[in-house]
Amino acid sequence: MVTHYKCPNCGSDMAFDAASGKLSCPNCGRQDDIETFPEENIQQKFAPEEAKEYHCENCGAVLLTEAETTATHCSFCGAPVILADRLTGDLAPAKVIPFTISKDEAVAAFKKWTKNGRLTPRGFMNGDRIKKMTGMYVPFWLYDIDGKAEVAAIGTRMRTYQQGDTVITETDFYDVYREIDLSYLKVPADASEKMDDELMDKLEPYDYSDLKDFRMPYLAGFLAEKYDFDEDALFSRIESKIVPYIDTYIGSTISGYSTVSYTNKQINANKKKVYYTLFPVWMVYYDFENKEHTFAMNGQTGKVVGKPPISGGKVAAWFMGIAVSTFAVLKTISYLVGGVLW
Amino acid sequence: MVTNSLFKINAMILLLTVLMLLTGTAAFAQTDQHIFDQAGLLSDSEISDLEAYAAEKSREQGTEFLLLTTDSTEGLPIETYMGDFFDGLADETGTENAVLLTIDIGGREFYLAGFGTAEQRLDNERVELVLDRITPYMVEGQYAGAFRETIETADRYMEYKPGVNPESIFFQTWFQAAVALLLGGVVVGTMLYNSGGRNTTTAATYIDRDHTRVTRDSDRFRNKTVTRRRIPKNNNSGGGFGGGGMTGGGRSFSGGGRSF
Repeated sequence: MVTHYKCPNCGSDMAFDAASGKLSCPNCGRQDDIETFPEENIQQKFAPEEAKEYHCENCGAVLLTEAETTATHCSFCGAPVILADRLTGDLAPAKVIPFTISKDEAVAAFKKWTKNGRLTPRGFMNGDRIKKMTGMYVPFWLYDIDGKAEVAAIGTRMRTYQQGDTVITETDFYDVYREIDLSYLKVPADASEKMDDELMDKLEPYDYSDLKDFRMPYLAGFLAEKYDFDEDALFSRIESKIVPYIDTYIGSTISGYSTVSYTNKQINANKKKVYYTLFPVWMVYYDFENKEHTFAMNGQTGKVVGKPPISGGKVAAWFMGIAVSTFAVLKTISYLVGGVLW
Repeated sequence: MVTNSLFKINAMILLLTVLMLLTGTAAFAQTDQHIFDQAGLLSDSEISDLEAYAAEKSREQGTEFLLLTTDSTEGLPIETYMGDFFDGLADETGTENAVLLTIDIGGREFYLAGFGTAEQRLDNERVELVLDRITPYMVEGQYAGAFRETIETADRYMEYKPGVNPESIFFQTWFQAAVALLLGGVVVGTMLYNSGGRNTTTAATYIDRDHTRVTRDSDRFRNKTVTRRRIPKNNNSGGGFGGGGMTGGGRSFSGGGRSF
């Protein structure tokens, strides 16, 4: 099943506009709210179940897609196309954060980001060799986590004072016990195999106040994927993500001690609720010195992540600059205080 | 920026050297004898070597470096004996700024004193540091070495402003270089580490404050330990005495001495 959104005015294919948050017609400029878009202008056609071939409803060309793709462009006529049967049933996303950064804004934000690179080569900082920008909805699972922690520890309080020529150290030992209810909301993990986990983790956090119930028109004009890993497969990643958070919280409940050593720590975390969600990501493919560098930009906040090329000369210059000026400052201070340079 | 500050330091060193040369030689009376080896502890060649060295450093520092050795302090404490000797020397030659090392081979004691400007520039604390360095020479009977070490170290210490500890690690060039390199490494390392984007989520990002809470807690006192440690008394091996004082002729000095 492929879906087009036809402009009620002129019949062109409409696409989601990040700036206004509406469906917008590239031809006549008409904008429509996603919630109120007239049903009769949604053109859908079911493809036979067995056929894995989709046809563009505009020009009839075969749509070439990967098995994970849920939204794309017709490679022949360029019309935004949504593969609706890949977004229904088990595959229907519950929530979506729409793009708030348009392509032009993304290009500008990326160029600005390249200028901040203190260790990147000079040529990279122009930011003018963007090969391709792709707006993509990446599938994430958001987990609501419910849990309990039971902790036993020995805490000490130390007091040191002097009496005559004797230093007296008094150490009080305490048995510390805590039972804690834990709750974490909407912890994300990306469910796409081709997205680098570390890169996607660094894109966080997203602003959940823009989290919307999923509607297909948000995807018009962007690429979208369906998940490769289901909610159970990713839970171990969520666990490894929240255990440090839980440790920090437990630590914050045990205060006022000089030292704390845990004798027993039991953490039990379960998923209470899971949301299949699409997050907006701009993928930036950048050519530099015959190598392609891939960056990802949070399509909501504009945060850029990805390994930029590093200039050895700049690293050396920064290191030398800092070391030499620190040395000069220390020498100056020792001269002012002690009256001697060497 | 870097070359600029280096240039500034060079200029400062130059200026300092010029100032020292100008002021150092002025306004101080010079004796031509620095070594009064009444006990005959040094050989002739040692004496002539050390005389030359002491004369050179005395000229540079504006302070006479003197050595007095004796078989006996005639029943007087070594400070008094030394004070009387210096009163006599000062009255005769007009030398008021001096660093004087006295060795009493009969009582097996030695005493280092700073007179005039050296009372400040080689204060009691610095005298102790010099004594620490020369005590091994004294114990081994290398009296020439002890005096040479005294001149060298006192000369170095007196460059520092009064009151600061010249052996402080913060004045050591190797330490300053190590701190500078370490800081450079840490800062650049952090920049490299963060060049690919930083993780900005924290333990508070996804927490549900309404439902995360402590449901039961207890902090029960269990036991108490008390440890006592005596502060060791500052006992220098061989026994030390000092703190300076006043000579019979009314010259005050800094100083300290030890037995060996």
